[in-house]
Amino acid sequence: MSTLSRPGTVTTSRAVPRRLPGVDGVWVAIGADAVIFAILFGSFMQARLHNPAVFEASRHTLNSSLGGIDTLILLTSSWSVALGIQALKRDLVDRAPRYLLGGVLTGLMFMVSKSIEYFEKFTQGIAPATNDFYMWYFTLTGIHLLHVVFGTSLLSYLWIRSRRRAYSSLQRVVPECVASYWHLVDLLWVVIFPLLYLQKAA
Amino acid sequence: MAIHAEPAISTVRNVSPFRTDYTTWKVLAWTGPVFLFAVFVLWGIVAHNMPPFPPSATPEEVKAHFHDFRLPLLIALSICVTMTAFYMSWSVAVARVMERVEGPGGLLSKLEMMGGTITCAPVMVTLAIWLTAAHEVNNLTPGIMHMLYWMGWLLFDLAYFVTSLQIAAISIVFMRDTRAKKLVPEPVIWWGWVTFASFFAVSAIPFVTTGPLAFNGVISFWIAFFTWFFWIPSLSYFIIKAVDRIKAEDEAAGRVDA
Amino acid sequence: MSVLRERVTVVWLGLIVATCVTTWGLSKELFSPSVAVIGIFTIAAVKVSYVMLDFMELRHAPIPVRAAFQAWPVVVAAMILGFWFATP
Repeated sequence: MSTLSRPGTVTTSRAVPRRLPGVDGVWVAIGADAVIFAILFGSFMQARLHNPAVFEASRHTLNSSLGGIDTLILLTSSWSVALGIQALKRDLVDRAPRYLLGGVLTGLMFMVSKSIEYFEKFTQGIAPATNDFYMWYFTLTGIHLLHVVFGTSLLSYLWIRSRRRAYSSLQRVVPECVASYWHLVDLLWVVIFPLLYLQKAA
Repeated sequence: MAIHAEPAISTVRNVSPFRTDYTTWKVLAWTGPVFLFAVFVLWGIVAHNMPPFPPSATPEEVKAHFHDFRLPLLIALSICVTMTAFYMSWSVAVARVMERVEGPGGLLSKLEMMGGTITCAPVMVTLAIWLTAAHEVNNLTPGIMHMLYWMGWLLFDLAYFVTSLQIAAISIVFMRDTRAKKLVPEPVIWWGWVTFASFFAVSAIPFVTTGPLAFNGVISFWIAFFTWFFWIPSLSYFIIKAVDRIKAEDEAAGRVDA
Repeated sequence: MSVLRERVTVVWLGLIVATCVTTWGLSKELFSPSVAVIGIFTIAAVKVSYVMLDFMELRHAPIPVRAAFQAWPVVVAAMILGFWFATP
């Protein structure tokens, strides 16, 4: 990288070159998943455009406090996993497992919370086929939940391996890939929650 | 094109006294894009499947649809049934490139070839079912027409895992390519995994007739099909190029009968 | 490594506060629907941005990739708000 672009200006070269965590290919999958969800969000809004009253009435049956807590859980989960990656970067190999475990436990908490939420709906006689809003609610949160289950399984694998000291600052490609995927799962919920639970009608 | 490093372990043995037919290999690789073009234009556009006629349609509506579009359906679907065979021929070309990474007679290249070939079965049978429905529309009750329409979709969609296994085999093998510049680049490999994941949602189609998971919905149709539609030509581009690269590698290594 | 001094911890705290504001603050009847909705989705976009930059480490990623990802929350929020205002 050049350090001088023009007389009178100085560009400093980066101390640490720009890089993507993990392997480049995983970012294709992350990007594709993000775009697919964006398409789903747009599709949801289009369905809502045609039936705002039904969507608003159904939205009121959702528990936004529980949804907010779910957001806090996933943000904390991401934080924990991010700390785990920081620990690996600094070769604090014995500290990494606890942060990865934190990610696993918060992932499980989210799954339990969602299960309770779904169970409540079913006992109230609400199912995906009840109306368009609920179809979207169960589909969006359901596909997201599958992502959470998959991500938590990957984090569990990482936790087990990290306890055997499989990862370090020089061996962190797999943890970084999983962590990046987990942060995607987190940020998707950051949009899904207000989209379904908080978006009040005009 | 530059010659790249040989795989660390030489997986190419003299297994045949015959020369490798690079030309036929490349022609077969091209049949992939030809298949896609046929399906997209004939089944997608001419046969009015983008988007598909809704699963929520009544038997009378289904019959009316097949009646109104009978001629384009007869033309498009009949040609499409025939041209579906190109997916099989393409799979053979892909398998042979995979063998150059995995080794001759490798497990995953066999799985890929089987997966690609068997994919033709639900596609061809589905198209033939709908072709029959169009052909016989004036002799059949709305109930039977509705049944034929649904039978096609249930078969077409739910057989997805055969194709999933083909895609998985391809992604796994090309990920293991030790060449400095892989024959198939990482983005295409990972797009394969995106396609693989997108297919599972389709399992919902028997249970819904509206919304994103219905067979005409944004998830089960637009996302599931278009991830696959994008994967076929992008993979094909690198498979076609791979044949040239392999030919150059063979010539540089003095291998005549690889 | 002191957890409390890590950048990711500071970011996490900010995200938690932002979540509480939108979940238990902005959604209350105090605010008109349009103010609430604009606030909620703008904050969501900012939250997504911070998750991308500091948790996903895109702050240090090649510029084209960072730009592409950072466009996502902007486009998504704009799309949602666009639809919202078009909805009766």
